[in-house]
Amino acid sequence: MMTRIVRMAYLGVLALAAGCDGWHTPSGPPASLDAEVRQSLGGWGVVPIGPAPAQPAALVDLGQALMFDKVLSGNRDISCATCHNPVTNAGDGLSLAIGTGGSGLGPSRTLGPGRQFIPRNAPTLLNTALGAPYLFWDGRVSNLGFGGFGGGGGGAFQTPAGNQLPAGLPTLLAAQAMFPVMNREEMRGARGDHDRFGNPNELAEFADTDFVGLWQAVTQRLLAIPEYVTKFNAAFPGTPTSALGFQHAATAIAAFETQALTRTDSPFDRYLQHDDAALTTEQKRGALLFFGNKARCASCHGGPLLGSQNFANAGVPQLGPGTGGGAPLDFGRGELAHQDFARFWFRATPLRNVELTAPYMHDGAFATLEAVLHHYNDVPRALREYDVSQLPPALQPMYHGDDATLSGVLATLDGRLSAPLGLTDVEIRELVAFLKSLTDPAARDLSALTPARVPSGLPVEE
Amino acid sequence: MTSRVVRLSVVLLIVAGRAPAQIIPIHTVPIVPADQFDIFPSYTLAMGEVSIAVPDTLHDPFVNPAKGARVRAARFFGSPTLYNVSHDAGAGRTLPIGLLSAAGSWYGGFALALQQVDASRTPASFLAPPPGVLQAVGRLGGADLSPDPSSHGNALAFAMLGKALPGSGLSVGGSVRWTKLRAVDGVDLLYPGSTSVHQYGETIDARLGLLKDWAGDRSLEAVILHERFHMTHDVTFLDAFWDPGIQQFVQRARLEHNGDFTRRWGAQVKFERPLTTSGWRVGWLATANRTSQPSVPTTDLLNIPQDPGHAAAYELGVGVSRLYGPAVFGMDLVYQPIWSATWAEARTPTATSTGDTIPVGGRTVDNAFHFSNVLFHMGVSRDVVRSLTKTAALQLGLMVRSVHYNLAQRDHVEGATRRLDESWLEWTPTWGLSLRFPDLELRYRGRVSHGTDRLVATPNQVFGVASPTAVGFFPQTGPSPTLDGVHVITHQISVSLPL
Repeated sequence: MMTRIVRMAYLGVLALAAGCDGWHTPSGPPASLDAEVRQSLGGWGVVPIGPAPAQPAALVDLGQALMFDKVLSGNRDISCATCHNPVTNAGDGLSLAIGTGGSGLGPSRTLGPGRQFIPRNAPTLLNTALGAPYLFWDGRVSNLGFGGFGGGGGGAFQTPAGNQLPAGLPTLLAAQAMFPVMNREEMRGARGDHDRFGNPNELAEFADTDFVGLWQAVTQRLLAIPEYVTKFNAAFPGTPTSALGFQHAATAIAAFETQALTRTDSPFDRYLQHDDAALTTEQKRGALLFFGNKARCASCHGGPLLGSQNFANAGVPQLGPGTGGGAPLDFGRGELAHQDFARFWFRATPLRNVELTAPYMHDGAFATLEAVLHHYNDVPRALREYDVSQLPPALQPMYHGDDATLSGVLATLDGRLSAPLGLTDVEIRELVAFLKSLTDPAARDLSALTPARVPSGLPVEE
Repeated sequence: MTSRVVRLSVVLLIVAGRAPAQIIPIHTVPIVPADQFDIFPSYTLAMGEVSIAVPDTLHDPFVNPAKGARVRAARFFGSPTLYNVSHDAGAGRTLPIGLLSAAGSWYGGFALALQQVDASRTPASFLAPPPGVLQAVGRLGGADLSPDPSSHGNALAFAMLGKALPGSGLSVGGSVRWTKLRAVDGVDLLYPGSTSVHQYGETIDARLGLLKDWAGDRSLEAVILHERFHMTHDVTFLDAFWDPGIQQFVQRARLEHNGDFTRRWGAQVKFERPLTTSGWRVGWLATANRTSQPSVPTTDLLNIPQDPGHAAAYELGVGVSRLYGPAVFGMDLVYQPIWSATWAEARTPTATSTGDTIPVGGRTVDNAFHFSNVLFHMGVSRDVVRSLTKTAALQLGLMVRSVHYNLAQRDHVEGATRRLDESWLEWTPTWGLSLRFPDLELRYRGRVSHGTDRLVATPNQVFGVASPTAVGFFPQTGPSPTLDGVHVITHQISVSLPL
């Protein structure tokens, strides 16, 4: 009897289990939008940015003066801040920069007689102190250290100056600040130029390979001004005046950039610090696209800086005078590395505050973020259908839209962009909303950074 | 072993262990409930935990204090219990000792227990930073970064007092159980990526019971209970951040302070009576719980946004048993309908997709759960040796718990409604052996649960950017928690001595 009862009971259990048709283990959605965003962020090394290192006040003061002083340029007519103007968010608002000989500031700046556009866009200096391993559009100043990100700043800097680069430069940004004064189109001027007072431009007479001679000459200019001697001595109290070099000036400029132009308190940064309410729903959806598999933006713009660690040919329309052996085209990284496969590769720029830094790409080919995203959505098609009317009239004749150029650009197009992304208009709006969440409100108005005067007495705002 | 990404988390009493009787557990994922609080001696726990129609004079007083009236003589007991979760996912040891006694129409009892609960994960694997990330050491940001101890201690006290009302067949009793908690099994798994979880809190379980015996071996019992569960989790995370000064990924300590508060009222009525003269008995029970959870731990695992919540849970059960010479057979079937509501509240004014704004404290998400669970218990016990001086008995049992629920989620921010159906089965065989002598009673019982999972989080990882155009190694943040299939084995040896 007992055996029968037990047997029946077990049969009952089996019947119960068998009747539960369709049992399945929990696995599916709905996950919350925040959980999805944070999950997608996790794979790209996107982490909060810590505070930038505090800089000595005297060093920042010197760096600010140098940043805005046209005495650093051969013709005494352009300063660093001319193309990296606080009023235009540490850029110039132009597609292609206008160097020495030009006049005016910001988008209204115009070319001087007989001058040519700088081949590339002047990138913003916002957040350049955060530690990008490559600087300049082609990454010609770099710090690969022990492997780039995560390798720290311990490695030797790779620069066009080779072993002429003086020792003692504390950061890659300081190393970068050594070079605009070398560039004839940007600041140095052409042989035979005369400065704004009609005096010969002695800086233009140095050979393009004589980095040491030129840097010494610029330093002599600076130390001929008593106020600069005072400022240098305050900024480098342990260094005799006779031992000062342009590397000290570059160090001060980098200190100013670090102190004044680091802006990382965006809604997205607050979101990274666990404030779920910092982003709107639209921005979170945009983030999912950005870090997800559909738009795949993070495959280039990942990492803590949202970019700057790699290069890509994004199929950007070719525009401007070009540079190097490829002129009138700009082969970018390919020119630097002398590698055909790297033609048209440019640095994937860090994206914080990108909303404020139009026009976009290495030659400023796109005036708006929407235009950039429409380009990325179907690069081959967008390149062939590029609307040149979005360019300023002076640049429109400099667009290279011939079939050979287009084919050349598409030949090395990044494989991630060879097929359309299939983004809808709504998704593009969401991506733009996300990109706007990268804006630190404090970066919107930097005009207070412009000093009233500089030690040389040269005009600051003209 | 299965392994899957956790896409859904638990609502209400996520890891509070196996619930004592009259408390209806609510799980939305099959996370294993360790036997942390199942520590008192029992006759029937080895029989698949049948309880409706099989009396258990050892265990019943801890469930319904009025049933202490059935304690005939004073007894001392000790019931060392240990459980172990497979894959080194948790373990615990408890030593309860106690006394049940009766004097005239009064009866009472008390018990004390010390418990040691092991960490459910290996702390070392979470402390090691990934390559390329500087390790934070010592104290950072006010948080102690030393590894968690491998185990923590809890303490439990139980007291019960009752009186049988002579001539009426009525007994009333009350009991209080207080637990000082330093570790609830599995809580550390709620915080993947954390370096330490410091738990502290207490529970109080107060019960008032009534028992009415009639002639003909019929009885009605009732119990009402109130339980408060109040735990705090101080969780230390090491977040990676990018330090522009040294241009390295660095870890920084972040301390989260989470509260897990639950209040519950419950009531249960049970009636049993002989079914026939051939040894069959039948019983019925009805249980109701009303649970509110004003504070839910904030954990990244909670993919269902939620802040507070409340639930109404019910049980309707029927059980039969038969005493047939040296054998006892019991079987229970219980149906559990449960309705639970949780919601998330806006911490800042939140814009919705329709352009409206949800004010602070307004609901951003409403979750409505409806469970239809079925529990089946079955067990047998048979004396294999029986004499005047000793009795030996073997016990076997099986519990099957089927869980099915559907969730309707309304997202007021996105203006979306989602639905979800989930179900799973849990199987728990039990076994036991008892030896009874005139001056000593020894019992062993064991159980192993199947069909349940435990959260497992992958430690922080580093991935390299393998592209000719790229350099760098990034720490992968936010380890992905997964559910891994585990089983829990529980062993208990209880000793009971007449005084």
